[in-house]
Amino acid sequence: MISLNSVTKKFGAFTAVDSVSYSIGKGEYFALLGPNGAGKTTIVRMLLDFIKPSSGSITIDGIPVSDPDSRRGVGYLAEQHRIPACLSGFEYLMRHAALIGLSGKDAVGEVDRVLELVSMKGLEKKNSTVYSKGMQQRIGLGAAILGRPKLLILDEPVTGLDPIGIRDERKIIETLRNKGVTVILNSHLLSEVEKTCETMAIMHKGRILVKDSIHSILKNGETLEDVFIRYVEPENE
Amino acid sequence: MNNFIKITGYTIRDQMRHKSFYVLLGISVLLVLMIRGCYNSEYLVNGKPLDGIAVAWHVSRIAFQFIAAGMFLMAAMLSMRIFSRDHADGSLVLFLSRPVFRWQYVVGRVIGTWILCLVFMIILHATIFLTVWTKTGALIPGYFTASLISFINLLFIIACVCLLSLFMPDFISVIFTMGILFVGFVSDGGYQILNSEMVRSAAPNVVISDPSLWRILFPKVFMLQAYAGSIISNSEFNNMGPFHPVLNLAFFIMTLMTLMLIRFNRKEV
Repeated sequence: MISLNSVTKKFGAFTAVDSVSYSIGKGEYFALLGPNGAGKTTIVRMLLDFIKPSSGSITIDGIPVSDPDSRRGVGYLAEQHRIPACLSGFEYLMRHAALIGLSGKDAVGEVDRVLELVSMKGLEKKNSTVYSKGMQQRIGLGAAILGRPKLLILDEPVTGLDPIGIRDERKIIETLRNKGVTVILNSHLLSEVEKTCETMAIMHKGRILVKDSIHSILKNGETLEDVFIRYVEPENE
Repeated sequence: MNNFIKITGYTIRDQMRHKSFYVLLGISVLLVLMIRGCYNSEYLVNGKPLDGIAVAWHVSRIAFQFIAAGMFLMAAMLSMRIFSRDHADGSLVLFLSRPVFRWQYVVGRVIGTWILCLVFMIILHATIFLTVWTKTGALIPGYFTASLISFINLLFIIACVCLLSLFMPDFISVIFTMGILFVGFVSDGGYQILNSEMVRSAAPNVVISDPSLWRILFPKVFMLQAYAGSIISNSEFNNMGPFHPVLNLAFFIMTLMTLMLIRFNRKEV
């Protein structure tokens, strides 16, 4: 479904992503892990064509990400999700619905469905300026799952959510995953990744240190935190 | 194309949500209405009354240019924060995380702002037109044509500010654009005065040298306003150089839009 071929991204002299190649299959629940500045968010931004790779190529379903068609069927939740101050949650979701081609009753029905899922029903007509960080994040998740996407890209999705919000979000993503949706999770919360993901990659200094299924990586009662330290610490020395 | 129309609509709607838009429109209409007293006064020069309709036309022409100048400033202020605000408030991510081409976003934002300014300017020009009609019973046939011509200037200003705001701080992009307008005002205004009937009849033997190339090629915002004014008063228009100001500005608008699209395509979100 997603393929990265020798992707490098340089910001001046600094190499944020260094010749990264991997692929993610359809229906896979994939976690991208790494310390701050490892290049995880840079990869996510390149997947959405927010930034261009310095070299290499990225495709989604065989379509280069420079083609907006590659984003048809892609839902995205940003790390620090923001809703324009002039909009209510409902208007924000309606805009997303319109941009993916829904209109009229279809759009309203779909927006109602996701509002129910993210527990924001009844609060959707309030202006976004009165929403807490967690409520903004819930609306953001609603926007990401609007229109039943084939691929969900979640960049630190639990930021600002309370424990109930985290549990609800996990349930929503589990449901989507059972329906065959591919999920890319970029997270610092290793316990969350351990609970939910099937495959993962650990990144450090722009390079992939390991990419495999979580079951194959964990050895003899190790936690994901142990594995993370096992791979990242030697690189820091 | 469909997304471009949607983004144009969102741009107009978002601006119209602000109460300040209606306050500004109300104040502007009131200010324009304040000049209605000029139309029913009796003016005497050397004890002889002036033709009321001629005075009304003259006042309307001046008001037309003042409205245009105010609108240029408003268009610049509205345009300067389009990209930086969208970046800060998440609108850019909203649009570009969906199957939207970058040109659709850029052109939608520019055209939306332009349409909003057009409507604002039409309301003010229509206020003048209707005031003249109700006060003197005279219709100024060229007024709406002149208004249409001014729209080209508005688009030039919006495109110029938007492009510059991709390279420099927002307010500096407005100052820079106003600088371009001011240079044009001095260059084209001087040319208009030197070639006016009044100067030619006062000093018929004075030889006016041809303007330099940069003056001919410089954005002709003021010259286009002078052309619009000549349509209202049905008077002679002294163009500078072989290119009509409409062609000159059409060329600049196309160039600015192309550069904006190239720059925005490389912009990191």
